[in-house]
Amino acid sequence: MIAGAQRRSVAVRWPRRAMATLGTATISTTRRLLLYLALAATVLIVAMRRGAWRGPVWIEFKRVLHEVAVRSLPTTVATGVLVGFALVSQAVYWLAQTGTTGLVGQVIVILLIREFVPILVGLIVFGRSGTATLIELGEAQTKGWLRLLEIQGLDPLALLVLPRAFGFALGAFCLATVLLLATLSTGYLVAHGLGLVAYSIWDFSDLVLRAMKVEDFIFPPLKCITIGFAVALACCATGLGRRDETDELQRLVPRGFVRSALAILVVNSVFDLVV
Amino acid sequence: MALRPSRPVLSLQGVALVERQFSATPARLDFELLRSELAMVQVDDEADAAALVDLCVGLVDPGAGQVRFLGVDWTTRTPRERLHRRRRIGAVVQTDVWPAHMTVLDSVLVASAYHFDRPPTEVIADATALARLFGLPGLPTGRRETTPRRALVRAACVRGFLGSPDLIVVQDQTLDQASDLAVPLAQAISAARDRGGAVLWITASLVAQAAQFVQAEHLFRLGEHGLVRMRRSR
Repeated sequence: MIAGAQRRSVAVRWPRRAMATLGTATISTTRRLLLYLALAATVLIVAMRRGAWRGPVWIEFKRVLHEVAVRSLPTTVATGVLVGFALVSQAVYWLAQTGTTGLVGQVIVILLIREFVPILVGLIVFGRSGTATLIELGEAQTKGWLRLLEIQGLDPLALLVLPRAFGFALGAFCLATVLLLATLSTGYLVAHGLGLVAYSIWDFSDLVLRAMKVEDFIFPPLKCITIGFAVALACCATGLGRRDETDELQRLVPRGFVRSALAILVVNSVFDLVV
Repeated sequence: MALRPSRPVLSLQGVALVERQFSATPARLDFELLRSELAMVQVDDEADAAALVDLCVGLVDPGAGQVRFLGVDWTTRTPRERLHRRRRIGAVVQTDVWPAHMTVLDSVLVASAYHFDRPPTEVIADATALARLFGLPGLPTGRRETTPRRALVRAACVRGFLGSPDLIVVQDQTLDQASDLAVPLAQAISAARDRGGAVLWITASLVAQAAQFVQAEHLFRLGEHGLVRMRRSR
């Protein structure tokens, strides 16, 4: 009888435990998301304060922007060439096969400008500069220099997060422009070289530009800027969230990658839904 | 006409230092530090010394009592206001700690550039003069990893004494052991006091070589139950 009661008790407990686990995970994720949104709002509010952009903050912003926009240039151009080779030439090839080369502009605008470039730029920004931020800021608490900054009266949000958030955002926009140009040029040259298209590069540019609407000059750049901003916040929050040495530095990069990738996809989806 | 008593730069009243490394009993802290005064506090354990620094600069709130800096209780201020008030504090702490993304030079100058609008050339000239006082040919321009330990300790002293802070907190065991720093440290402390700044020196030993060159108004030892006033033997 006791065994039967125990079996019933286990049977009752199992769904409860599953619900509790699900509930805990939901609460924790929601809390993290709200914290992340609060951080984003705080950074935006602090950025609008007149006193926030003091000398050292500007210097740090320029350093970060140089890191993101200039040092990542070779990676971005190389990515653009590879994507252009694969994507644009394939699109042109298949459209030529189906006899719908007139759609090349629309396909490129929808695929490349609205979707691929913002996501790729987010990943490049994370890979080149986000990981460095994770490691730099991951040491802030454990090595003790966050405490030192606070003793000196330096606001970590203004000195560490603000320049990175805006440096990444502006850098992402610059890289997106470079990536797009590299991809389109390579795609055209490959397609032209293979004899898939007979028109000049100016006609090709004209096709792409004619396929673009006014929104395409506003929202994809805005998407890239938001993605850069979101990646910076994810990296800063993850790095500064490392409290002690028990949280190994090696785990920080994968954690930062997951959060940044999620942030990129969420921003991308939100833009797709809204626009 | 009686002179108005000057407002203490730092005052601890009934403050309880609760979380101590090697003691279960909270230590009660009471003292006042006026302008141009020097207080030396012997704290055996480095974690307790760091906790005392955090209390004095308003980084953590005391479990009980009040810590006042320039007459204002830290707990009545928002975190942002506290950061702003700390521009008037110089700290020679954590001499081995330097931000990873900055050069030593930038790290020495950053607080001054952040809080004040002084021309950079003036700040650099002051910092260079201090660096020479501490036995460096100039300010180290490299990163933490490429700068010798000896130069980092001296640069940390420059970082703490730079400007005209109202309060200077000195706490690092390395300073107690560096005999060649004793005279320059005493000179820097004297210069700060002459400018009207108060100095709180938390040391591991009151008989450390550097401590012999300064004349402190207050000598304490952090005992089991709190601060015990000491007298220097001659």
